[in-house]
Amino acid sequence: MSCSRVLVAAAFLAMVSCKGEPELVRGGATGEVTLPSKGDLSQIPLGDFAGGTPNLVATTIANPYANSAAATKEGEQLFQQMNCADCHGYDAKGGMGPDLTDAFWRYGGSPAEIYKSIYEGRPKGMPAWGASLPPQQIWKIVSYVQSLGGAFPPRLANAGRQGNLGGLDSVNLVSMKGVQDEH
Amino acid sequence: MEGAVSASLRREAEATRARWRGTVAVVVVGTLLAACGTRESEGRSPAADSAKGDVSSSTASSAENVTGARAAGDAKWGVRSDGEWTMPARDYANTRYSPLDEINTGNASRLRVAWTFSDGEPHGHEGSPLVAGNTMYVVTPFPNTAYALDLTKPGAPIKWKYDPNPSPIAVGKACCDVVIRGWTLADGKLIYNTLDDHTVAVDTATGKEVWRTQTADVENGTTTTMAPLVVKNLVYVGNSGGEMGVQGQLTALDLKTGKIVWRAYSTGPDSMVRIDSNFHPYYKWMQGKNLGATTWPADAWKHGAGSVWGWISYDPDLDYIYYGTSNTGPWNGAQRPGLNLWTSGVFARKADDGMARWAYVFTPHNEWDYDGVNENILVDQPINGQMRKVMVQFNRNGFAYTIDRQTGQVYVAKPFGHENWASGIDTTTMMPIVNDQKRTEPPGRWVNDICPADIGVKDEQPAAFSPRTGLFYVPVENICMNYKGREVSYIAGTPYWGADMTRHAGPGGNYGEFIAWDAGTGRKMWSVPERFLVYSGVLVTGGDLAFYGTADGWFRAVDARTGKVLWSEKLGSGIISAPMTYRAPDGHQYVAVMTGIGGGAMTIKALPGFPARGSTMYVFALDGVSKPVPETPQQGLQSKTSSDAGNKNKGKH
Repeated sequence: MSCSRVLVAAAFLAMVSCKGEPELVRGGATGEVTLPSKGDLSQIPLGDFAGGTPNLVATTIANPYANSAAATKEGEQLFQQMNCADCHGYDAKGGMGPDLTDAFWRYGGSPAEIYKSIYEGRPKGMPAWGASLPPQQIWKIVSYVQSLGGAFPPRLANAGRQGNLGGLDSVNLVSMKGVQDEH
Repeated sequence: MEGAVSASLRREAEATRARWRGTVAVVVVGTLLAACGTRESEGRSPAADSAKGDVSSSTASSAENVTGARAAGDAKWGVRSDGEWTMPARDYANTRYSPLDEINTGNASRLRVAWTFSDGEPHGHEGSPLVAGNTMYVVTPFPNTAYALDLTKPGAPIKWKYDPNPSPIAVGKACCDVVIRGWTLADGKLIYNTLDDHTVAVDTATGKEVWRTQTADVENGTTTTMAPLVVKNLVYVGNSGGEMGVQGQLTALDLKTGKIVWRAYSTGPDSMVRIDSNFHPYYKWMQGKNLGATTWPADAWKHGAGSVWGWISYDPDLDYIYYGTSNTGPWNGAQRPGLNLWTSGVFARKADDGMARWAYVFTPHNEWDYDGVNENILVDQPINGQMRKVMVQFNRNGFAYTIDRQTGQVYVAKPFGHENWASGIDTTTMMPIVNDQKRTEPPGRWVNDICPADIGVKDEQPAAFSPRTGLFYVPVENICMNYKGREVSYIAGTPYWGADMTRHAGPGGNYGEFIAWDAGTGRKMWSVPERFLVYSGVLVTGGDLAFYGTADGWFRAVDARTGKVLWSEKLGSGIISAPMTYRAPDGHQYVAVMTGIGGGAMTIKALPGFPARGSTMYVFALDGVSKPVPETPQQGLQSKTSSDAGNKNKGKH
């Protein structure tokens, strides 16, 4: 693919992404990834589901940067530069804001739910970063948070919601703690 | 653990008694002078004692008559009657001294719980209940619900409840738990600040909101946790957010309407700080124009903190208010070369218009988070044989300052606990002589064992002063830190902090200590070591008892003269509030303290034995004899229920 065709393709993808389609992102050490669409992400609720069958597909959206060490490193840098560390701790074990290394997630612990908490902000003082950080940077921060060990693997998002992950040794989860410092 | 403490206390008390044999005469003379001087223009008729409760003969001493002198002078210092407690520190001078003496050194061991009250909020409880007439007023941590409790009825039932509905955003903007440090009563209103920066006035008779004023924007990271003070027609309100890049401010509101009358900032040009030609700091390095802006890099003062989250005092003779300013922002000092005035200091301002009269900065170019917000206790104190009107502040930085409250001249600046960041205070400039090994600049490297840690040798938890002993009673923290400065950018609504740290106990391994202090000479008179932080405020009484609590929940009464622990009780959670005392409608003296660990005490939450959260106020009386007779269900119903239960048990077996 020639350079100009790539540019055209990128421009096209940027346009379609406004319509809620997946967005292709090319970038340095982290390579080329396709970001989840806004439309899919918008289907993930803050709480549980009332009536009907829950849409579990969206909740299980994977972080496109999940396996990238470079993205995790960038995410850690962003975590410090954007002052996340001053609230959640440089070790992410909590301070003004909640511990991000444990398995207690007030607004969901799957990657897509963590993404939404960062993007939208949360009522008890978590600022909304969607207006000031592009989606790929937020996904990189999610990647760093996943690297801390407490996040739910996407395929187990629903089990996490139900509190069914405590005994699973197939996932990298620390013990269920952190409730005491809950605001 | 209790036994071990008691043993060391006994040794300490014996040593103290030995010391006292030599010094007691001097102290009593000083006490009499201090009491007379503080209350000088008021009469001292023995009739003022008529309102006192039962006096145990065991408290009789040569100093007892001083109580009457004090009670007579109290109206000028904002006290309505000896049995009431209507403002955060009981009086404008911030002494936290009550003349009540029914409970005293001779009978403190008979203290028992009379009743309790839980507000159900699992956050740090730093405030003291207030009592006016037959009613007690308490306000919870966020969401800052107010309760009026009827002291005429058994168990003090709720008279009314008021919910100000603060924004939950405030929860995530508060650096150090969602606390409230106090509330005040004036003009038939209960007045306090909500965490989301509103000041509310509530009718004490009905619990209905009278006015509500917003003083800051919580979304920028400003919260409000301090106890307002009312003087004449003004309500003084300061802000919190020293870790959020706020600009410190004190706002004066109209007592009747809540309308903002004036605002004085802690940083910026003189016009913003309310400085004019009548401003005369005592020391040269604080003299000049617009130092609140020019001692900073361009515009850094706009986010330089100096927030006003501590206590306010008032001297009715000089008509000055006094309050401290917080740490400098960000903590990383490399981003703000300069003296960074007027953060980490204290202001004296004319009460009516807020114009500054003098200022003093305890920790210029603060690199360690040593806020200057601790209470300023106003006493008249002999210094080198001469009577002086002073304010005494036990600063976070580990030095206790005795300062002329008219001029800002520092008479005494001595360490009152373990510190190693400064070798002393220069006697000419009164600037700290900083130990270069403990400087946190340049950032990006760990500096180990800086003492005290960020929370100080003493944090906001207020000390007390007894005019009967002439001594200050001070909660002390023995805590140090390893510290790493971090570059940080200002992003509104997020922390502007710039530090990473770990904390550990200071020498001896005990995190806490309770001491008595002579502010005239800068000497520790006695000390009670505690394994956990002493992060509570202090109450001292006419019964010569000093009350304090520990982070692990021990509530103690000690002999104010010797430091001997006379009574201890383990309460449900840690204690970080200041106890208070009052006389109830039944004529008896009660002592009340809120429990509920939180706030800065959470810095040691990893210590084994650290308590869980709590939300219960305990109210004590002698023997519980004055415990009201509870309204029980009818006798027949009660016995039926119990016999039913008994039958069921029998059936099962």
